Amino acid sequence: MKRICTVIASLMIAISLAGCSQSSSEKLVLTGSSTVAPLVAEIAKRFEALNPDVRIDVQTGGSSRGVNDARKGLADVGMVSRGLKVSEADLRTNTIAWDGITLILHKDNPVQSLSKNHIVDVYTGKIKNWKDLGGVDSPIVVVNKAEGRSTLELFLKHFGLKNSEVNADIIIGDNQQGLKTVEGNPLAIGYVSIGAAAYEAENGASIKLLPVDGVQATLKNVELGVFPIARPLNLVTTENSTPLAKRFIEYAQSQDVGDLVQEQFFIAANANK
Amino acid sequence: MLSAHRLELVMKGVLWLTASVVLIIPVMMAYDLMINGFSTLSLEFLVSEPRNSGRAGGIGPLIISTGLILFVCLSVVIPLGITCALYLSESVEESSASGKRISLVLDILSGVPSIIFGLFGYVFFAQVLGFGFSILSGGLTLACMALPLFVRLTEQSLRHSPSSYRQAAEALNLTHVGFIFKILLPSSATGIAAATIVATGRALAETAVLIFTAGYVTRQPESLLDSGRALSVHIYDLAMNVAGGTKPAAATAIILVMFLILINGLARYLSKRWLPR
Repeated sequence: MKRICTVIASLMIAISLAGCSQSSSEKLVLTGSSTVAPLVAEIAKRFEALNPDVRIDVQTGGSSRGVNDARKGLADVGMVSRGLKVSEADLRTNTIAWDGITLILHKDNPVQSLSKNHIVDVYTGKIKNWKDLGGVDSPIVVVNKAEGRSTLELFLKHFGLKNSEVNADIIIGDNQQGLKTVEGNPLAIGYVSIGAAAYEAENGASIKLLPVDGVQATLKNVELGVFPIARPLNLVTTENSTPLAKRFIEYAQSQDVGDLVQEQFFIAANANK
Repeated sequence: MLSAHRLELVMKGVLWLTASVVLIIPVMMAYDLMINGFSTLSLEFLVSEPRNSGRAGGIGPLIISTGLILFVCLSVVIPLGITCALYLSESVEESSASGKRISLVLDILSGVPSIIFGLFGYVFFAQVLGFGFSILSGGLTLACMALPLFVRLTEQSLRHSPSSYRQAAEALNLTHVGFIFKILLPSSATGIAAATIVATGRALAETAVLIFTAGYVTRQPESLLDSGRALSVHIYDLAMNVAGGTKPAAATAIILVMFLILINGLARYLSKRWLPR
């Protein structure tokens, strides 16, 4: 019992001390897209090193949460891995990087490229067997993204599909899950971020990237602006954002963090300007 | 018709098979983790900060965050849980209306998916109570999640204490409080320790809850009101979000498993020491 009392007492002391130690330093909170969060966390670390009195907390939870938290003031800045919708016009966007999305197949799949119509037919379930596309005589395993994912919205928009029309065999969440699913199934087709897919393919993952509309899926083509499925990675704020938030966004868009953007396999926003 | 002897042989085979499957799964998991993660493990990995989104560097601050989250969680769960279990086992008849009602609530709570607790913690601790994304929010939310399980397990171990102890205590005219502290609790220590291990395991394995409450920040926490990334969240992020994160994810998982085994051993050791000789 004594021990328990000690534990409770020390907890109380810890909490009250915690209250005191909140120093006068400035704090910035960012929440949102799990795709953008690792990049922004690295940018934040460098920003903190340059501004020792600033503390930046990066949280994740998805693009929709980034929009919500920025609106409600729960976060100073939201992270959104897509362009803003019409209904979100009250927010200001600041693009920090670009990402491309492409279709991937297993390395052993003999199919080398698919036309736009073929991809639509595969995803709507009109073509169900690889042999109709010049592959082996086996059923196609269609991998789709979960509802609410920015990648899903972008993919559907490009191919003019509705999510209700998609006939998926496997629904996945994050990017790496898509890569692992296709890597583990020679009959699967999925779509993921180009940078991450190219990195995994170079490092021995059994996947290959398909060209989209005849354009090779490379980061270079995203950078040149010729790759058809690209999305901006945005930092969003309300009209009245703090000076610190503005400073951080400016820094995140500057040349100083170009190497960090590259390390996360994205294209810096200012790369083709 | 199968003869009795044959049936026995078949059943024996089935039992051996199931037992070995149960053994093979953890061995396979450990093998997979070791293959992927062992080369990344080093002392440096244990103490340094994650760099390049966790692809390089280590998990030092995350171990501290995880420890603090667990500390907050257990310092709420253990006193509250033991008190609640004592009330259930000492003051309420198992078959009475209130006994049944409390049991039902506890059973429902322990079956609630963890993401619900996460959203609750995000609204209640982080926003209403104003703790924000913090180790405190994370630990308290985990406590809500682990409490029903802990109470159930502790209550069972208290109820299973031999009735002869109680009779002897009454024969010796021991007070009820004296009986609880001197006899009942020490003699159930092993069971309470087991309950603590289970609660700890559930807390350490939790990801969804912590993304919403303790958060994603990899900085070394300075107080309980700082956000801190737990090891499980780190593993999830590396495996799901970071290209090239498989190796550090596996290495982090090895550390997490070792952490669990260590706590398991410690709890067993402490409960043995508490047992009356």
